[in-house]
Order: sequence, then structure tokens, then C-alpha cells
Amino acid sequence: MSLRTIIVDDEQLARTVVRECLAAHPDVEVVAECANGFEAVKAVAELKPDLVFLDIQMPKLSGFEVLELVGGEVNVIFVTAYDEYALRAFEVHAVDYLLKPFSEERLAEALARARERLAARTPIPVGALVAAARPEGRPLHRVVVRDGSRVHVVPVDRLDYVEAQDDYVCLHTEGKRLLKEQTMAEAEAALDPARFVRIHRSYILNIDRLVRVEPFGKDSRVAILRDGTRLPVSKTGYARLNELL
Amino acid sequence: MQPILARGSRTLFYVAACVAVGALLSAALAGRGGLGALRTGVVVVPLAVLYGFVCLSSWYVCTATPLKTTAASVAFGNIGGSTVVAAALWLALGRAFGWAGARVPGLAGADRLFTQEPALLFSAGALMYLFSLAAHYVLMGVDEARAAEQRALESQLAAREAELKTLRAQIEPHFLFNSLNSISALTTTDPVGARRMCSLLGDFLRATLRLGARERIPLAEELAMVQQFFDIERVRFGARLCYEQTAEPGLDRLLVPPLLLQPLAENAVNHGIAQMLDGGTVRLDASRAGDGLRIVVENPFDGDSPRSARRGVGLENVRRRLATEFGGRATLDVNDTDGRFRVTITLPSAT
Repeated sequence: MSLRTIIVDDEQLARTVVRECLAAHPDVEVVAECANGFEAVKAVAELKPDLVFLDIQMPKLSGFEVLELVGGEVNVIFVTAYDEYALRAFEVHAVDYLLKPFSEERLAEALARARERLAARTPIPVGALVAAARPEGRPLHRVVVRDGSRVHVVPVDRLDYVEAQDDYVCLHTEGKRLLKEQTMAEAEAALDPARFVRIHRSYILNIDRLVRVEPFGKDSRVAILRDGTRLPVSKTGYARLNELL
Repeated sequence: MQPILARGSRTLFYVAACVAVGALLSAALAGRGGLGALRTGVVVVPLAVLYGFVCLSSWYVCTATPLKTTAASVAFGNIGGSTVVAAALWLALGRAFGWAGARVPGLAGADRLFTQEPALLFSAGALMYLFSLAAHYVLMGVDEARAAEQRALESQLAAREAELKTLRAQIEPHFLFNSLNSISALTTTDPVGARRMCSLLGDFLRATLRLGARERIPLAEELAMVQQFFDIERVRFGARLCYEQTAEPGLDRLLVPPLLLQPLAENAVNHGIAQMLDGGTVRLDASRAGDGLRIVVENPFDGDSPRSARRGVGLENVRRRLATEFGGRATLDVNDTDGRFRVTITLPSAT
């Protein structure tokens, strides 16, 4: 069985090492080399590889953010000089974690694991990937959303509110709407609780956008945002809002 | 150490005080036994000095009875008991001196100096002892306070040393791992480059070890080390990283703490260039500022990144190191207004 792989690293020399070591494995075919996370997401979407060698420290999109965006479709082996991410890497079900500089034997070991996992057709648990981009215990500072092979990076302070939409959440940012495969609970957990509040079963609001809350009908309320948007506020949501303000 | 005998000046002062007390006593006792003040003094002053030395033993009582920790009843017993003993000794010594004095021609009648009003004489002896005891307590307190001050100073000094040690810049280990990875790549594609990289890395590490252990190094050596660091990082980042270094002439021999700029150089690469898709140029400029030195390190940064991502712990360490080494005479300013992250250091210069 041939193994189609992509190498992602912002350093040319680092990509060269991986490519060279892979040359010793005839069943492995390198279908693309990417110098950043955007290229990586695009390449994964278009080329549908079996395996990605992924650096973690990269400009704009970190390796974990790339994994969050494409991890459901492909197996990932992290390649990095930093050993402090190892735990997180396995939590998000990376196949392996190679520390730079690595030996050819170590790379062969990682490949063997990847083959095993591919042969067993182990489904990749998407839920675990969602929190991938979030450093331990710290709230997100940006949200990444994939739209086909395009990637949107939304700094959280440009996020107006999050709306539930079936199996997705819809991120409203500066008049645009972006769909992300995530549950409301996951989105709520990832955002900074000091700035984002779940005002309703279906809405998480950036409190910077709130102008006022008005009564609406019998014992229900509505939040008015700066751009005039009106969002329903539930009873518990109103209590949470009051607690925060 | 006996606090009074510990220093010549104190001993001298103590003896002088004894002589003075002896003179006073002589004046008081004059007329007894038919002796004038001067002749009384011939007997009483040596007696007072001798008794003064006897009173030095109150030091033992003082050390055995530290006022802070001893119960009042015990302290009272110790001090009272020793006072009674000392005063009794005073009386006995007085009589002995009087008796001996009476044998000396011209001092006949001296034996009567200490035979009348023993209660009054006893009280005088007790008072002298108590004065001596009080003096011991005071001096011991003074000595202890001085020693405590000294200890505090020493521990402060030790703390500063320790702080400087921890703040002393160390090479970021990931820099080494990434450099090794670059060498690993070059070994097959560009063996000559691999060898060059090994020697660059070797030179740089040797310089950091050699110079890092010194208190101060010439600016020229510090700048050379930063240049070496960027030479190595350029192998890793390729065309994404450019480095420009300028220095006003005549600054080479000014002294700076070693590796002061290293964390700034690392920050410029890791938080600046490495976060940008197309990289950019890091600039370092050294110039004279008044009678001191100004060093500016600036790099472009990714405007979409959060502010916190632009500065590492390295920056805070440099700030603390400057404060520890130079107090308020050095400054560190950070500015990121026009798309470039700029750190400006000023420090007093010395050659």
C-alpha cells in the first residue's frame, strides 16, 4: 500500500531532512511540500494525502491550528524542536511526535505507526481535535475556520457573536458569516469567559458589542448589539450577563 | 568577645571612667582618717580601676541573661545576686586597700576610709557594678545590631549575585535543536555548508561560554556574538531573515554585561521573523547617548498576532538584569507603533 504524504515546515532545510529520510521508504510518496499552514490546509483539501509531517511553530497558522482544520481527514506526525507540546499532540491523536533533529530509525518507527493506523482504518475522533489549537488552560486569541481549501483566521476581538446552526456554529464577524464544524459547548469552552457569554442556548455574545438589553414579550429579553443586531437572551443567559457586567 | 576589651578605644574610655569615679569618690571620702582629697585619691583611684576590671565580669551575667528571652524574675535574680557579690567584693577590696595604704608612710589613717558607713559604701559599689552592667548591655546591643546589619548586607549581596546568575542570558535550547536539524539537512545536500554551519555554531557557543562568565565585555565582542547568532539563524531561515548591524565609531571598547543583547536577538527572530510568512529585516544600532550608550534592536512583526505574542520572557529578564546591574541608570523601552517592534536600551558607559 502506498503512502501519500505532505511535508509542512516553514524552514526549507527542515523539509529537506524529512524528504530525504522518506526516500529510503519506496512505498512513501511525497505529494507536496508546504512552507506554511495555509498551503498545508489547501494541499490536504486538494490532494487528500494519507499522512502529513507537520511542524508546530509556523507563522500565521500553528501546526495545532492546521490539525484542527484538517485533522479529521488525515493522520499527522508532528515534527518539532519543542518537546513541551508532546502531551497535547497525543491528546489530539497525532500518530507520532518527532523531535528535531531526529534519526532515520525514529522516522521509520513513526512511519510504521502510521501504516498500522491506516491499515486498521481507525477513525480519527474529530471532537478531540477541536480543542487542539487552544494552549492548555488559556483562552483562544484567534479562531481558525476552513472554507473548502481556504482558511480564515479571525482574531477573537473581531468576533461579534457565535450562533448555533445544526452540527456547526456560525461565527459572525464584521458582517461576514463563517461556518465551523464545532458544537456550542466546545466554542463556549474555547472562548475567554471574561469576554464571551452564552446569552442563549443558541448564542454566545462578545460583550464588547452589547449596547443594551431590552425586555421582549412576557419574561424574555433581547440584546441590542452595536450594529443593531437583536439577539434573544434567555433567563439563565441574562443572569450570566449580569454576573459578568 | 568581651565588648569593652574588644576595642582599644572602648577599654581606654572605660579605664578613664573608672579613674573619674575614683576621683569623685576620693573627693567624697576626703577628711576620713585625717587624709586630704589627694592622699585619699592615691588609695581610692587604683581601687576604683581594679574594681572596674572586676566589673568586667558582668559580661558573663549579661550573656547568661539576655533581656529579650529571660523571664523577669530570673533576670532580676541573676543581676541582683551578682550585684550583691560585686558590692561585697568592693567593700572587702576597699578594706584591704585601706589596710595596705595605712602601712605606707604619709597615708596613715587610710585604713579608716572603708570602715565607716559600710551601707553607703556598699551602695556605691553596687551602683558602680550596675553602671558597668548597663554599659555591657548597651554595647552588646550595639554590636549585635551592627552584626545584623552586616549580615543583612551580605545576604543582600548574595541575593543580588544569585539574581544576576539566573538573569544571565542563556542560549535558548531550541536554537541549538533547530541548528542541529539544519546541519542534519545540510550533511547530504551541502556538505561544505554543513561544515561551515558546524564551525559557526562552535565559534558562537565557545564565545558565549567564554564571555558569558565575565562581568563586563567590550561592546565590539558583544556585537560580534550577535552577528554570529544571526549568521547561524540565516542558515535556518534562508532568505526570510536579513540582519543589519550599525555602530557609531569609537564605541567598540565601551563595556557592557555579556550576552545582554542575546535575548533581544532571539526575540526578534522567534517573535518577529519566524511569525511572518515572508520574513523581514532585523536591525541593530549602537550609538552614543549623552555620556552613555544606546542600543536599538528592531524587527517587523505580524500585525495580526496578539500583543502578548510579540514579546517573550527574555525581554522581562533583560529589564530586570539592567535594573540589578545599573539600578535606575539604565532604561529599556519597548515601542511597536509603526509596524516594527523596537526595543531601546540605554546604559551608562564605562571603558
